[in-house]
Amino acid sequence: MESVSYQRFPKIKIREMKDDYLKFELRETDASMANALRRVMIAEVPTIAIDLVEIEVNSSVLNDEFIAHRLGLIPLTSERAMGMRFSRDCDACDGDGQCEYCSVEFHLRAKCITDQTLDVTSKDLYSSDHAVIPVDFSDPSDANDPFDHTETQRGIIIVKLRRGQELRLRAIARKGIGKDHAKWSPAATVTFMYEPEIHINEDLMETLTLEEKLSWIESSPTKVFDIDKVTQQVVVVDPEAYTYDDEVIKKAEAMGKRGLIDIRAKEDSFIFTVESTGAVKASQLVLNAIEILKQKLDAVRLSDDTVEADDQFGELGVHMRGG
Amino acid sequence: MNAPDRYERFVVPEGTKKVSYERDTKIINAASFTVEREDHTIGNILRMQLHRDDNVLFAGYKLPHPLKYKIIVRIHTTSQSSPMQAYNQAINDLDKELDHLKNAFEAELANRPGQY
Repeated sequence: MESVSYQRFPKIKIREMKDDYLKFELRETDASMANALRRVMIAEVPTIAIDLVEIEVNSSVLNDEFIAHRLGLIPLTSERAMGMRFSRDCDACDGDGQCEYCSVEFHLRAKCITDQTLDVTSKDLYSSDHAVIPVDFSDPSDANDPFDHTETQRGIIIVKLRRGQELRLRAIARKGIGKDHAKWSPAATVTFMYEPEIHINEDLMETLTLEEKLSWIESSPTKVFDIDKVTQQVVVVDPEAYTYDDEVIKKAEAMGKRGLIDIRAKEDSFIFTVESTGAVKASQLVLNAIEILKQKLDAVRLSDDTVEADDQFGELGVHMRGG
Repeated sequence: MNAPDRYERFVVPEGTKKVSYERDTKIINAASFTVEREDHTIGNILRMQLHRDDNVLFAGYKLPHPLKYKIIVRIHTTSQSSPMQAYNQAINDLDKELDHLKNAFEAELANRPGQY
């Protein structure tokens, strides 16, 4: 029954990798796959975020729901999220307890007792699970001075308190996906572009004077072309800076040099840029996206009873058609 | 106040099948698959994969309404195949493609010293 396979074998090349940033090339597949990966990274890779807040004392200037919302938006380290359960289908608890499979509890206690304004930040959140903590954005290179309390050292500000004000609360973080609420999205930005293929018609280009060449190069809003100082030839310095704006093509036409440049988008090559919120590493985000997409595909397989039901109907159908 | 719950977008309601199959009444080897709680992510990769199949004469999907969280995939094949066979094969091929992608990505990561 199984005949030929129409499977593709895409190629990947990583260009640049940091914890929260990844740039890679994806080749020999089509835009539907690239876009599915992008969509999954943004909206379907799970993370952990604060979802339920019980406020004990709040005499700050912000109201309770305002603070609850701000807490929800704090990215939490979510390496555990792929292995966790959604609280809605957790059998071990009622969904809002301190269940180790589906939730993590946080506590926050802060009171200002001086005349100095107190910043309550994500560092004041105490987690019940050492693997799930607010993301630390501080740059290790700034951390030389332990008494240096610059902006990068202090985490994400939740609220500021003046003398006498107090904030005390309990929060429960749960696993979720960006489709439910954007606070669960592990992606800051995920983009992909087609790789451009730029061909300069050298013969036609040589008919241009140096001034004309320079003014043509200037017509591109991004720095794609430049002039070689020695040979005075136009060279492509950065094809990926091209934004498919067609300005250089219009300029060539305006100069009466149609066909001076040929720019094509390679329809099976993509350049991805992935920026993570810090909840998971950018490289892990891509791997998780592949895994989630696989799970989604598995879920849309036809169930056996559907196939059986059709087999019966199929015979009947042959009779009906007068077979 | 009367807003539907957010989870309705991705949780298949009880008693509903994830995928249901309906044969076309007039055309042989044509059928519609209704996939609950899926969107362009699945719809578009399935459609493009089906287009690679020589036995598929027509493959398309639609999201009938932005607030109805389902897609309808319609497939018409030659007599050499059947919509069900084409559908299953498209999923198998995509699954294998993703396996390959995963391995390729992990191999790239392993190639980078100092990480992992």
